[in-house]
Parts: sequence; C-alpha cells; structure tokens
Amino acid sequence: MEGRRGAPTRDATRVPGPPSPAAPVTPAPPDGPALLEGFEEGVVVCDRAGVVRAANPAARTLLPGLRVGEVVDVAHCEVLARAVRDGVPEGFEAVVEHPGGERHVRGRRGPGLGTSPPPPEPQDGDSTWYLRDVTGEHARTDTLLAAQERAAFLAEAGRALHGVLHLDRTARRVVALAVPRLAAGATLVLRHDDTVTWARAELGGGRPRLGRVGAADLARVPALTAALTGDESLGPWLADELATLTGLGARPGPVRACPVPITGVVEAVVVLADPRSADAPARDDPLAAAEEDLLTSYVARAGTALAAAALHEEQAHLGAVLQESLAAPRLPATPGIAWGAAYRPARETMRVGGDFYEVAQGAERSAFLLGDVCGKGIEAAVLSGRVRQSWHALRLLEDRPGRLLPLLNTALLDAVATRDESPRFATMVLGDARPVGDGTVELRLATGGHPPPLVLRTTGEVETVAVSGMLVGGIREARFGEAEVLLRPGDVCLLYSDGVVEARGPGDFFGEERLAAALPRCAGAPAAVLCEQLEQTVVSWLDGHDHDDVAMLAIQAPRSEA
Amino acid sequence: MTTASPPTDAISLRASYLDRLADADERGAVAVALDALDAGVDPETVLLDVVAGAQREVGDRWAAGEWTVVQEHVATHISERVVAAVAVHAPAPAPTGVGTVAVACLDGEWHGLPARLLAEVLARHGWAVEFLGASVPAAQLATHVHRVGPDLVAISSSLPSRLPAARRMVEACRATGTPVLAGGPAFGTDGRWARAVGADGWAPDARAAAAVLAASPDGPWFADGHDPAGTRGTPGDRSGREEQAVLHARRGELVALAAAAVRPDAGEVSEELADDLGHLVDFLAAAVFVDDPTLFDGFVHWVGTVTIPAGLRTTEVAPALDALSAALADSPRTARFLRGAHGAHGGLPAAVG
Repeated sequence: MEGRRGAPTRDATRVPGPPSPAAPVTPAPPDGPALLEGFEEGVVVCDRAGVVRAANPAARTLLPGLRVGEVVDVAHCEVLARAVRDGVPEGFEAVVEHPGGERHVRGRRGPGLGTSPPPPEPQDGDSTWYLRDVTGEHARTDTLLAAQERAAFLAEAGRALHGVLHLDRTARRVVALAVPRLAAGATLVLRHDDTVTWARAELGGGRPRLGRVGAADLARVPALTAALTGDESLGPWLADELATLTGLGARPGPVRACPVPITGVVEAVVVLADPRSADAPARDDPLAAAEEDLLTSYVARAGTALAAAALHEEQAHLGAVLQESLAAPRLPATPGIAWGAAYRPARETMRVGGDFYEVAQGAERSAFLLGDVCGKGIEAAVLSGRVRQSWHALRLLEDRPGRLLPLLNTALLDAVATRDESPRFATMVLGDARPVGDGTVELRLATGGHPPPLVLRTTGEVETVAVSGMLVGGIREARFGEAEVLLRPGDVCLLYSDGVVEARGPGDFFGEERLAAALPRCAGAPAAVLCEQLEQTVVSWLDGHDHDDVAMLAIQAPRSEA
Repeated sequence: MTTASPPTDAISLRASYLDRLADADERGAVAVALDALDAGVDPETVLLDVVAGAQREVGDRWAAGEWTVVQEHVATHISERVVAAVAVHAPAPAPTGVGTVAVACLDGEWHGLPARLLAEVLARHGWAVEFLGASVPAAQLATHVHRVGPDLVAISSSLPSRLPAARRMVEACRATGTPVLAGGPAFGTDGRWARAVGADGWAPDARAAAAVLAASPDGPWFADGHDPAGTRGTPGDRSGREEQAVLHARRGELVALAAAAVRPDAGEVSEELADDLGHLVDFLAAAVFVDDPTLFDGFVHWVGTVTIPAGLRTTEVAPALDALSAALADSPRTARFLRGAHGAHGGLPAAVG
C-alpha cells in the first residue's frame, strides 16, 4: 500500500473534517437513547475516564468489543481510546480487526454534552464520538487507483513494445517490461521459423540477456514445447527445462507459464518467476482477477508486438536481399582508368531506384553503363535490374556500343512482350574505355534518349559530347547515336541522369547551365572527388526538397599515371 | 620517400603525411601510413593522430584561404583511401560481443571521415560496427535501426547548423528505444547541444567515445541520468521550432536580401557569398532551435576570421546582420540573437573598413 494516494495506514490520524455542529447542542430529549438506536453512524459516549457510557447498535456492530460500562480500550481501536483520553485527535481514520474482515473506520468528535440529561446518566466532561464504516468507500478508491495503475502499465507497455520492429529488441523489451510489475523474473521463449530465441530479465539483473537455440533442441524441453503451442497444463519441471534451454540457473520459487495467444506468425511463451498473479486466482477475489486480466492483456500485447516484429523482419529481409542485388555496385580499381560515381535514390529509405550504373572491368576495354528507367522506387529498381543483367550478358557477345544498344533494346521489348506489362522505357549511355598506354583513354559511347555526357578538360573547359538517340525499350526500329571521345590525363567524362539537372530547389531546376558552371572548379580533381562534389552541390541546391533519383558516373584518365 | 628508418612519432608522421596531401599524392600518403604501421606504430595513432590530425590542419588551411574547397576535397578523398588501406593492412580483430553500433553522419553532413574513423576505432575496441556513411537521411537511419537493431547509434557532425537534422535523427532512434551517442564539434565544445537535441550522451572525439562506451556500453552517458519520458532538454520548445521553421522556409529569400544589402552594386550574387550567407542563416536557425545565442555568436565571430575569396568579408558581416534583423523583426528570439551577435562580431560598425 505504500506510496499510494488515499490509502490509509493503520490508525492514521486526520485533521477534522467539516466542523461539528456548534456546541452546546440542544439537550437530548428524554427518550434520547432510542433516538440514537436508528442512526447509521455509530455513536459512542465516554466519560472523562474513558469508560463507555453509551453506544448505539451501529457502533457496537462496527466495534464488537465495545462494552457499556467498561473502558473504551476493550474495543481494540487504539486511536479512539487515545482520542477519548487525550481529547485529540478530533478526527481519525483507522483500520480495525473485525470478525468479517478488516474495516475502515472514520471517527470524529461530537459536541460536549454539558449538564443536560443525556443517556443514561450524563456527567460533565463526557465526550461523544461518531463512528462511520468507510470500508466500502475505501475499497472503491483502491480499486480505482489499482485500475488506473494497471491501465498506465499497459499503455506504457504498448507504447514501448510497438515502437520496436526488430524481433530481438522486442523480445528483450517483453521481458524487461514484465519485471518487476508482473514478476521477479521473466523469460520469453520464442519460436520463429527454425529458430528458438529466448530472452530473460531478472530483478536487478541489468540488461536482459538473449540467446538462441536450434528448433531441434526443443525435444529436450517437452513441457516448454507444449507451452509454446498454447498448452497451459504444465509439469513441475518447467523451471528445470528453462535452465536447460537457456543455460542459466533456475531461480527458486514458483514459476508460471503464460502462452502468448496464437498469432500465426510466432509461437511464444512468457515464463514468470515468482509471479504476482498466482496460477489459479480465487474466483471471488476481484483484485486477483484484475491482476490476472492484466497479465492476459500484457501477454496478448507482447504477442502482437512479436508478430509484427517477426513479419517486419521477414519483409525487411526480403527488401534487404532485393536491395543488395539492386544497389549501386562498387567501382573496380582499373589500371589506367579512374572511376567515380554518386548515387542518391528518390526514396531514401530504399536506397534503390530507377537510376543505375554498372562498370565491368576488362583486360583491354572496360565497359560501363549509366541509365534511368521510368518510375521510382522498387518497381523501377526491379526493371533496372533486368536492364543491367541483360547488359552484362549481351556485352559478352557484342562489345561495340553502337551494336550493343540495339540488342539491349530488343531484349527489353521481348521481355515485356512475354509478360502482361505495359511497355517501360529506359534511357541510357553505354560504352567502353580503353587505356591507350600513353596515359590517354579512348571512349566509345552509344546513347538512347539520355542527356549527353559532358567532358571536363584539365583546363577547366567543359564540352558536351554531341550524341543523342531514341528511348530504349520503346520501338524495335529505334535509332541510337554513337560517339568517340579521347581523354587526356586528368580529363573526365561525366555521365549523369536527368535527376541531376531536374533537381528542383526552392526556386528553380538545377539545370544544365549550373552543372556546366559547377564543373570547372573540379578540373584535374580525381573522378571520385568530382562526383562527391557534384552530389553535394545538387543536394544543397535541393535544400531538403524531394527529388528524383540522382546518378553520376565519371570516367577519367588518371593524372599521375602518365 | 621511405627512408631507412622512417620517423615513428606522430608529429613527424603527420608532417610528412600532410606533405603528401598537399601534393595530392595518394600513393605517397598511403605509404606514409602503412610504413608507420610496419614500423610498429599503433593503428589508432595512425588513424587519429596522423590522418585525423592532418585533416584538421587541412581544414585550417582552407579556413585561412590557403586551400580551395576542391583541394580540401581531394585531401579528404585521399585520407579516406588511406583509412581503407589501414583497415586492410591492419584489420580490426573480430567483435568481442560487447555490442553492435551503427555509425552515421547527420543528414547534410558531408564530412564522413570523422565518422569513418570512429567506426574504425570502435571496431578495434570490440564493437560490431555498421558504418552508414556521410549524410544519412533520417528515414534511412530509421530503416536501418528497425532492420538491424543495433545496441546504440553514434551520430557525428562537424557543423552546428545541422542540429535540427540531429533532432530528427535522435527522435527516429528514440522511438525504437535505441540510445544515441553524439560526437563531433557540431554539438558544442562541451556537448551542450547534444543534450539539447535529446541525445543520450556525447563524446568529443573517437578516443573519448571508445572510452565512454567501454565504461558503460548501454548508456545513458550523461551524468544526470536517463529520462525515458523524453522530456529532457528544451529543443522542443515551440517558439524555437517555429522560428527555426520560418528561417528554413525563407532561407533563399533571406540570402538574397542580405546579399543585396552587403553588395548592392554586384549584379549576380557570387556563389561563395551565397554559400556564406546561407551558412549564416543556417547557424541562426540552429541557434534559435536550441535556444543558445552563443552558437550563432560563435559562427559570426568565426566568419569574421576566415578568408574565402569572394566570400563574406569581415566588413560585410554587420550589414548582413542588419538586413536579416530588418526582415525578421516578427520572430522575437531570432531578432534578439541577431542584435546580440553584433557584439560577437566585435561591434565593428558597417562603415568602417
């Protein structure tokens, strides 16, 4: 009871409530005692020595020990006895033993009786005490406070559990929240796919511990396995089985298994050590029933949180695998060629998008590709994956960019034709680079529907490679442009997607002019630095605004290897 | 370049490393680092005292107008290659199970090297480290935290102007119950702004971060303890958020106003001037956000000491502040900070110079 508002301690004293009726009271009529008989409030009259001179039935019911003619002490209400003797406190609340269980008594001092003839033989200095049974009132307050506390606990648990989408962290939270509110220790056993995870928290045990065993190990713990599938009838060996599974010592004392309601995603059981709520609560004890409800609600919440986390984990894994296969590739270290790239997808949580680049290092010529399929997000990324794989396969058969691009066009159209898909277009620049040996690098380029590449000379001069072509994947008879470029040491050829020039800041698009103006500052810098610098420029231009996918690939004849 | 007995003290190593950076000599720089490792120098010393130390000097040279932005970028690029080479040459031992940490730079923070170094150092202290890179959007960090579930997130930033972004990242992590350790100069020399954005702890540099985490792997690391209700700090105060949002939304307009005030005769605003004035507005917004005028005063004082060709000149600071004051009279805290900043600037009247 400690620390709860409104709960009286034994014999607690109180300042008097509303002032008693002004003394002196009108003398009681001659049939005074009869008048008091009908009072619901207990009335006790004591003389100066503490001897009870009168007590109505209500008072005798409340304090069965009370005897008229004997000292008030025999009633076993210590604070009343003291108040009678000392005159203070004038009001009190106390818990008294009663054959029907504890009763809460509230008492207050009545007016002095003066010399008039109260029952049975009034004497100067007598005192009157009104006693009221407030047990019911207290029970209601306690129930309310306890209900509030349970609601607050569940609300906090819900908030804490549902903020997490990672299964292990959720498991840790489930047990951490249970201690100490529900039990002195809590262990969660969770089966998801072929893995069994356990998490344990103990009072004063620090960060919850977590471990894993294979599903095959469940054969050694039959009762626990039964509990996992919702069976609550448990053998006496539950604690030992738990010790077997976790390798942690069992805590002495009662344990209780609470299977998590079936979620269809995970199977789980929370085992409580020294639980607050006993296994079989008395049916007529509302408090115990409420504790039991609390436990049930808690375990249900834990179950949905675990299921949500497990589902998220499956989806996230799916996404991560896909993302891994579609993410921008690492650049090779090619002798005689320096590569640089930057990539910033529109959906930043995904890290994949419709823009893509690829570099494939070869003995003589290294091939590269940068493109953009229409759309954003995962749909676009999947299509870009198809383009990239086709490119990887086709370039083994045909290395001339001017012939490779039409092949790719046909491959994309064929792929769409065999599926129920609307045609998806792509734009791209592809080509290859050959270090000539004197430090220069020869580029062959082909393009379809893509912004033309730029060449930045070491002098700071920027040239646009005049090459254009039709969209890739649009029509079979599409025509594509070809070009050749010679890079001298330090020169860079930049391929970029339209997300760069169409980046829209607070005012305007970034645009080709700003791009061309930003380049000369990077003259002679390594290709990687050029791309980093441009990405930074574009992102600060955006100033937090949404953007399309942004991709850049820079091919450079390195300076130092002349 | 490699002598018979290369120097092994951090000071001489740093000097020769800096020479390689000045020459944009990637191979030479890598050689300085790897030779030092072969001579028995501790990898942490190479990473923090040689590479990070030299990078600080690079920053100073840029601020002094000796190096261009591109030179600085080239140097940083080389240092990143060097860190990668060190990681390959003297790999960190396998994680000891002390925990998993995700290391990320704030959104808009392009200086990824300090975070990269932190990742390397923590890996050498037994942590399993995921390095998320420079300028990590809050959404990407949240996805990572949900998917990987690290024990903590370490965020790094060098620019206090990124503090509003830090708040978003901290909130993303806190929603998952993952503690956040902040690091880098962005959070103030004593970490006061780390507290203001709601982080659970702060460390001035990579060594200190490793020590803090060794002492208490789970946090919270601020001495005044944990406040799970998330009521700590003042950053969420409404006028701070509102005035910061106003500054953010009007950034372009304010830069144009200030530029017209300081160089009324120059037709087109030079990119350097626009950059500097943009920073001025960003720092003002961050100061308003964390309700600390010293953040803005510090920047105003600093901008008066650096020399960036065509950038904001010392004599132009006062008129720029006046132009912003006139435009922002409706925002009481912003206006108060702008008035106060004149003092930080040394009280130079606009006409002098």
